[in-house]
Amino acid sequence: MVREPASPSRPSNTAGFGREVAEDLAFHGFQARFLEDRVRALAHAGEIDPRHASFAIDVRSTVIARAMYRAADGSGDLCYPGGHAPGPSLAFGATPLEFLRHLACKATSAGGAREGGSSWADTRRGLIGWAGPCGFMTQVLAGAALAFRRRRQNRAALAFEGSRALDAGGWHEGMNLAGALRAPLIVVLDAGTAGGADRVPSIGAVAEGYGFAFAELGQDPFEALVDRVTAARRRAVDGAGPTLLRLGPRSDSGPWALHESFLASVADQWGLAGPELDAIERAARAGVDHAVARLGKEPSPEPRDALAPVRTDHEPSPPWTRRESPSPGPVEPQTGSGHVH
Amino acid sequence: MSTDAPAHVSRTRAGEPVTLLEAIGEALWEEMERDERVFLMGEDIGAYGGAFKVTRGFLDHFGPERVIDTPISEGGFTGAAAGAAHMGLRPVVEMQFMDFISPAYDILTNYIATSLYRGAGPMPLVVRGPVGGGNRGGPFHSQNVEMAFFHTPGLKIVYPSNPHDAKGLLKAAIRDDNPVIFEEHKGLYRAPHCRQVLAREDYVVPLGRARTALEGDDLTVATYGLMVHRSLDAAAELAKDGIRVEVIDLRTLLPLDDEAIAASVQKTGKLLIVHEDTRTGGIAGEIAIRMNERAFEWLDGPILRVTAIDSPVPFSGELEDYFLPSVEDIGTAARYLVNY
Repeated sequence: MVREPASPSRPSNTAGFGREVAEDLAFHGFQARFLEDRVRALAHAGEIDPRHASFAIDVRSTVIARAMYRAADGSGDLCYPGGHAPGPSLAFGATPLEFLRHLACKATSAGGAREGGSSWADTRRGLIGWAGPCGFMTQVLAGAALAFRRRRQNRAALAFEGSRALDAGGWHEGMNLAGALRAPLIVVLDAGTAGGADRVPSIGAVAEGYGFAFAELGQDPFEALVDRVTAARRRAVDGAGPTLLRLGPRSDSGPWALHESFLASVADQWGLAGPELDAIERAARAGVDHAVARLGKEPSPEPRDALAPVRTDHEPSPPWTRRESPSPGPVEPQTGSGHVH
Repeated sequence: MSTDAPAHVSRTRAGEPVTLLEAIGEALWEEMERDERVFLMGEDIGAYGGAFKVTRGFLDHFGPERVIDTPISEGGFTGAAAGAAHMGLRPVVEMQFMDFISPAYDILTNYIATSLYRGAGPMPLVVRGPVGGGNRGGPFHSQNVEMAFFHTPGLKIVYPSNPHDAKGLLKAAIRDDNPVIFEEHKGLYRAPHCRQVLAREDYVVPLGRARTALEGDDLTVATYGLMVHRSLDAAAELAKDGIRVEVIDLRTLLPLDDEAIAASVQKTGKLLIVHEDTRTGGIAGEIAIRMNERAFEWLDGPILRVTAIDSPVPFSGELEDYFLPSVEDIGTAARYLVNY
């Protein structure tokens, strides 16, 4: 991508963050775009599960998660990526290759291929993933947040929930608990997905009823997203209580309009020149290209090995099960052990 | 915020006998003193001290961050306990009555039990609470819940029958890196005949190991919880007729100690399984098939079971007595097997 040279005029940064953060957000936006393209292509080509043909990344979730990640110097906060798994996972430090290993159920994935999809857990990195019923993870992250407070840690937890959570009793239990115990928690409710959002028009009232602060996030620019999340995080770790952020529908101008708009502003705001942006873009593309090239060489799981660490039963003694029987024919009587016919 | 240990968790230190309820309290207190990662969550466990007063005095000593009164929301606070366990704490969740664990079934089976499988790491979490009938509590305060969870890989299930085991097993459960469901029979909580003087020294009873509560060679009775005592009473009656019953107290139901049951069956040749839980889908079925796999050659009769009938737990005293397995029921089945 060729860009116009940066304006020679002096940058006029009005955002709450500096050039390094701007470069970082530009990089993560590019990485998300390239990864989305490549995953869809792999799915269409039949190289991974075709259900990933509609794989999508909402760049806002990337920015929100990255703001949390950076706020704790990249070592402290905790994130449940939910349905936004690709963006927040990468924002919390997962590499594109790690992401693809998990998506494609490779033996080298974090869960040893026992879990697939786009969400996984790596608590050392601050990721707790899952793909089960919606709403539960607000409970789980509330408990994790209480652990932070108990240890006097300057940490907060971030949960991305889909709007279906509004229908789930488990989500409301988690909200009630987090509000009652003032857990340092931020819940991002994606009200743009199908489901309960229309049926619950006053989500802010729901949040406030549970003792949460509330804010709407629509098509806000990256700077505003970072500001909102930073404020919510500060409120959480200061003991002032949890926050619910409602993420509105995605832009009608295309999924990457916010990223494009951000890129268009970086020269004026932070003095980032075209060649510098090109270098950022190339770096993001190279990481994704490497991951895709490597994915085909990653081993598939061997079921016995993959399940051995978690299996809790005993291998049955032959010849009592069909699987272990040496042949389908009559079993020869054994003598001596008195244990087996 | 620190006070001396209240009397009900200090009896062993004073050399006094303890009830099963007090043994549970001592285990919790000592584990919280030993390991600051251990904390408690549950309904009314703080200021009120718990429905059965197991945690009376804990809030004053350990403070509100380690003794957390929760909303009436079993699913919600069990989920929160999972999050704390992810972060390296060791939560002990109290169900006011284990009948109310059912709202937490989803998070326990779908999320907590699968943590290690999914690569989300260990899940050191205990869910404990009172179970069992005989207290005229009716269908919502009397159930045994073990088999609702027995089918879920990733969980452990413990069900002690006496104070010594309750204390040692609960300590082992708290120190275990897997989620443990810990059932405490209300009928044993304050039972005078169950009081025991326990060792002053710290000890654990390893999970997954049964014990021989009574040695014999005519018949094996495999059982757990309150039914250990009913079986021992039946064995005493049978002994008057020269029938020597071996009673195996399972103590841990998941993982089940197959070896101990099989070893006893190899000695006696007869197996009777006794549980207070209802019949269909009870643990007797699983034990029977395992002994079919492991000890068929030694069996000299059918494997029988004495259980509660397949019904909700009745409220009326007459109905509940009919519903629950009795000493006479066990004796009748045992005589049939011995004479088979």
